[in-house]
Parts: sequence; C-alpha cells; structure tokens
Amino acid sequence: MSEAAPIDDARSAPAAAASTPVLEARALFKRYGGVVAVDGLDLRVGPAEVYCLLGPNGAGKTTTIHLFLGFIEPTAGSVHVTGLDVAAEPLESKRRLAYVPEQVMLYRNLSGLENLEYFAALGGRGSLDPARLADVLVGAGLPPDAVHRRVSEYSKGMRQKVGIAVAMAKEADALLLDEPTSGLDPQASREFSELLGRLRDHGVAVLMATHDLFRAKETGTRVGIMRHGRLVTELSTDEIGHADLERIYLEHMHE
Amino acid sequence: MIKHIARKEFTDVVRDGRFRWCAALVGALLLVSLGHGWAQARRSQAELAAAQAVARGHWESQGEKNPHSAAHYGIYAFKPRLALSFVDEGVDPYTGTSVWLEAHRQNDFFLRPAQDATAAQRIGALTAAQVLQHLVPLLIILLTFGALAGEREQGTLRQLLATGVGRRDLAVGKALGVAGALALLLVPAAVAGAAAVVVSSPGPAASALARGAVLTGIYLAYFAAFVGLSLAVSARARTARNALVVLLAAWVVNGLVAPRAAVDLSRWLHPTPSALEFARTLQDEMAAGVEGVERPDRAALTERLLAQHGVERVEDLPMNEVGVYLQESEEFGNRIFDRNYGALWDTFERQGLVHEALAAAAPLLAVRALSMGLAGTDVEQHRHFATAAETYRRDLMRRMNGDLAENSRTGELYTAGPELWAETPPLRYDAPTLGWVLNNRILSLLVLAAWLAGAVLAAAAGVRRAEVA
Repeated sequence: MSEAAPIDDARSAPAAAASTPVLEARALFKRYGGVVAVDGLDLRVGPAEVYCLLGPNGAGKTTTIHLFLGFIEPTAGSVHVTGLDVAAEPLESKRRLAYVPEQVMLYRNLSGLENLEYFAALGGRGSLDPARLADVLVGAGLPPDAVHRRVSEYSKGMRQKVGIAVAMAKEADALLLDEPTSGLDPQASREFSELLGRLRDHGVAVLMATHDLFRAKETGTRVGIMRHGRLVTELSTDEIGHADLERIYLEHMHE
Repeated sequence: MIKHIARKEFTDVVRDGRFRWCAALVGALLLVSLGHGWAQARRSQAELAAAQAVARGHWESQGEKNPHSAAHYGIYAFKPRLALSFVDEGVDPYTGTSVWLEAHRQNDFFLRPAQDATAAQRIGALTAAQVLQHLVPLLIILLTFGALAGEREQGTLRQLLATGVGRRDLAVGKALGVAGALALLLVPAAVAGAAAVVVSSPGPAASALARGAVLTGIYLAYFAAFVGLSLAVSARARTARNALVVLLAAWVVNGLVAPRAAVDLSRWLHPTPSALEFARTLQDEMAAGVEGVERPDRAALTERLLAQHGVERVEDLPMNEVGVYLQESEEFGNRIFDRNYGALWDTFERQGLVHEALAAAAPLLAVRALSMGLAGTDVEQHRHFATAAETYRRDLMRRMNGDLAENSRTGELYTAGPELWAETPPLRYDAPTLGWVLNNRILSLLVLAAWLAGAVLAAAAGVRRAEVA
C-alpha cells in the first residue's frame, strides 16, 4: 500500500496466517431452470490470498461471485464471508466485501472523489475524510488532477482504479473481481495487478474471475479452473509456470 | 446511510442539464401562473367590491316606488373570491360568480369568463393548479424513471448493492433526493403563494394560510405518490426506457384520459338536462304547477281572507290582498325552484361523487376535487353561495311583499320610500369553513391517502424485488 493511501495495518500480514477463510463456498449449487450454473462448489479463500477463477464463458465464475454478493440465492449449499452466512446476514456480509465488476460504472455527474465518498459512505466502514479519500484515489493510481474531475471524462482504466479505491477506502476483508482487466491496455492491466498485490499484502482476500491466464499466474496465489459450474482443478501459482497453466487449462477445456 | 444517498441523488439530479432546463420551465410556468392568477384575482376582487357598492347604491337610490316594483328591479349578488382562488379557479369560469336576484325568478349565474374567452385563451390559460396537477408529476417522472432501472442498465446498481446498503434505505434516499431537487422548484413557489395570500386575503389571513397549509399537504401527498409509483415502476422495469414508457402512459391516463372518462361516465350515470330543457321545464311548471305544488288560486285566497277577517269586500281587509297573493306566488315559485334546482344540484353532486370514486384509478381526480374545495371554487361551494343568495332573494321578496301587504290596502296606489330600501340588509355571506370543506371531500382525502400508501408499498415491494442486473 502506498504511503498516500494507508490501510489499517492491523489487518495486514498476521491476518494472512489465520486459518478461518475469508470467503467460503460450501457445496454450492445454483440452477436456473434446467441449467446448472454452479455445481457443488467448495471453495475457500484465506486472508492475503488472491484466488483466480478461470474458465470459459458460462463456466459459473460470475454466478459464484454474485452468490458471494447475495445478488442471487443458492439453490443449495451456502456462501460465507468471514464466517457470516450471506443468506442469513446479507448486509453485514456485504459490508466486509468490496466488488469490482468488469466495467466499474460510476455516476457521470459526480467527480471521482464524490463517487468514492458516496460508495465509502454506503459501505459504512473506513474514514470519510475527503482529504484521506483523495489520497486513496491517488494511491490507487488516479492522476491527482483527475480526482475532482467528473467521471464522464474518465477512461475505463481510471474508472477501474476508482473501483479499487472504493475497496481500499472501505477497508474490506475481501475483494471480489469480475474480469477486472478486460479491455484494459497492458500498462493499465499491470498497474491494476500491482494494486491487487498491495491489497493482498495487507491481508485482503481476493477472488478474481478472469479469462486472462497470464494475469492469473502473475497476480494469483492460487488458481481454480471451472467448467460447467464445477471446479475441476485447483493449482498453486508458485508451483507452475505460464506454459503449464495454459496447457492444464486447455486440457480441461477439451475433456 | 439515507442521508448520503439523498445527498448524492440531489447532486446528481441538479447537475443534470436536462433537469435544470425542465425545472426552469416548470418553475417559470408555476410562478407566472401564480402571478397571473393573483393579479387576476385582485382585479376581480376590486371589480366585485366596486360592483357590489354600485348595486347597493342603485338599490338604495330607487326613490319612491311600489315595493313589488322594487322586487322586480332586483339586486345583484356577487360570490366573493377566497384567498386561494388564484391558485385554482375551479368551476368558477364555467358556473359564473354573479346572479341577479329579482321577483318570481331564481336566475342562473352569469359573468362566466369561459363563455367570453377566445379560443386562444381557452387553450393557453394555464393555472397554478394545472401546473401542479399535470406538469410537476411529469417532471417527477422524468427525474425518477431511471432511478433504479437506469442504475441497473448502467451497472451502478450492483455496485451500490454490493456496498451493503439496504434496499429500503436506497429507496428512501432516492425519494428524498428527488424531493430535495423538487423543493428547489416548489419552495419558492410556495413562499410566493403564501406571500400573495397574506397580502391579498379578503378575510383573515390566518384562515387563508390554514387552507393553504392543507392545500400544500395535499399536493405534497400527490407528488409523494408519484415519486413512489415512479420508483416502483423503475424498480420493476427491465430498462429505463420501459419504465419511462409505462410512466408516461400512466401520466396520460391520470391527466388526460381519466378526467375525460370521469366526465362522460358521470353524465351517463347521472344525466343532467340541457340548459334549454331545464328552462322549459321551469317555465312549464311555473305556468301550470305540478302535482303537489299547485299554482295559488287568487279567487280562493280572496275568499279565505274575506272569511278570515269577516268582511265582504277586499277593500275592507286590514291588508293589501295583492301583497299576500304576490307572496303566495313567490312561495309557489320557490317550491318549483327547490324541486328543479334541488334535483339539478343533487345530480351535480352525484356526478361529483363519481369523479371522486374514479380517483381510485387516477389520483388527479382526488387532488383536483380537494384543490378546488380548498380554493373555494368547487361545485359544492358554488351551490353553497347560490343557496345563500337564493335565501337572501326570498327574504328580500318577503320584505317587499310584506311591506305592500301590511302598509297598504287593496286597490290603493302605494309607494314605499328610501327608508325601506335602506333598512333591507345587504347580503352577508360566510364562506364554508375549512372543516366543512374537508368533511365534504372526505372521499377524496381517503382515496389520496390510499394512493400514497399504495405507492409507498409498491415502491418498497418493487425495490425489494428489483433485479440487480
């Protein structure tokens, strides 16, 4: 974390060692009519871990993230955030999460800072001091001169940085990312990964759905490959190279 | 939480150029219509006061004449304007505000501005009530149709809900944000309206302000119902465009279709005769009487009076038999008028009830009835004044005929002097109280309250079940 945007150190490295998962899916099952979107998913993401969910479109990655967010209810099984059952405590569990979708959408008539103030206030955690929030934005990589500009003038990369800033300001325990680097240029994508790295270093658990094998290997600590709603394999990124990951992924896709 | 949402909504709305243009337009129309209505009301009030003084002067300066001739000379009565009539002129332009009170006739009201208006005036005249009843709801729709559907389309809704904000807080905050933006438009208009009431109230300003406060509450409830309905539709519609289409359709039904349908349905259920038919019936019944209301028989009256006083010639009666007969004729006419006008007024009231009941389908009908009632310009208050004027006319005729009967003898050429005209009191009219108006409009109040409660529940249910993406 940059000096400009400090995050509470109490939740940094020591928390990573805790055994209680920050995000946990237990025998999770989601069906839409006759279509099974998530099929018996068991998943645990601990503090200071970046877990990348890989898989083709329709594999169940986004559905999994929406289940953690409580946007949809599981057909069977349960999801937990820091031990809280999302179905039983939807608001409290969401207060411990931050979410960055594929395209961070902001209020065009508000500035980046005003958007951050709004989302931070609704998150109900962390400081609402404008000066500190401006530092968080800059710390997330937003140019200082853009902080007070309306977001209608922002690029996608800048909006994604505001999305990360929201997570930083909220001091969330877990970050859910849904294809966050899709459409970003390589430079913006790399900056985004660095931001994730900093969040991870401060003990934040990250669950990221992505198609980007390279980014998953670079950023993730673990990778899970999903297909037809099932988690077909889990890998530690320390133990495999880029080529191995690509090969394993393609093998599973052609099974 | 709610405070943050409301503040953000307010900021978002007021920074939107479309809102600024629409609000400026509606605000300007509201202020212009208030100003125009106020100026017109003041002018009309001054003219009314002058006309009343002139009419009274003419009455008192009749000179020596037979009291029955004075009864035929008659006097004008003018319905006083209440302080809030500049907000809503109601049915006054159609019913008229003045009536000529004379012997043997219960005349129709005249001075009907709608009758004299040019086509351009009819189309172009926009009252503050019309702006409040039609244009402000349209502005509310334009402000709120995208409140949830738009956020869902843009993708901000899922980010918003991912923060842990409660959906009820979200709905309340959005409603308050819109209310804040509307307040920028409505508060200056309300302040201007209150100032106009204080400056020009013909009666006690406190009473007029109390009516104004209730009227403000009525319109706020109406606007709140629209905000609730718009949020409900926005929450359930798949797209902002769908929400806008549904809400505009509802606006058309509320503002254009329902009022027209209410007029046609109420006339169909409770038909009223044409003015010509009504006049002909009155003429026929006055000429021949009807069962149970027979024309006075002059010969029978003479015989009865002679027998009663034990004399053989009318000249020997201790009163003028003509005066007694004229009063009997008046009372016969009064029974015919009561019969026909009573039935007509009752039909109008039944038609009014149909309008109020149809407010269950369109809240405008309830608000319109309440607005006219509080402004003192509805049919019921027209009837209230018409009844007071007719009571005064009958008392006037009784005085004139009584003076003729008591102070002269049959066959004598009798004239009364200015002292009789002067001792005849002018018409003193007390407009209905606020309690009377509200009691009279209890159905509209209940229907509006039901709309408000329904809209709040619909918004709560809609937001609770709104899909995130």
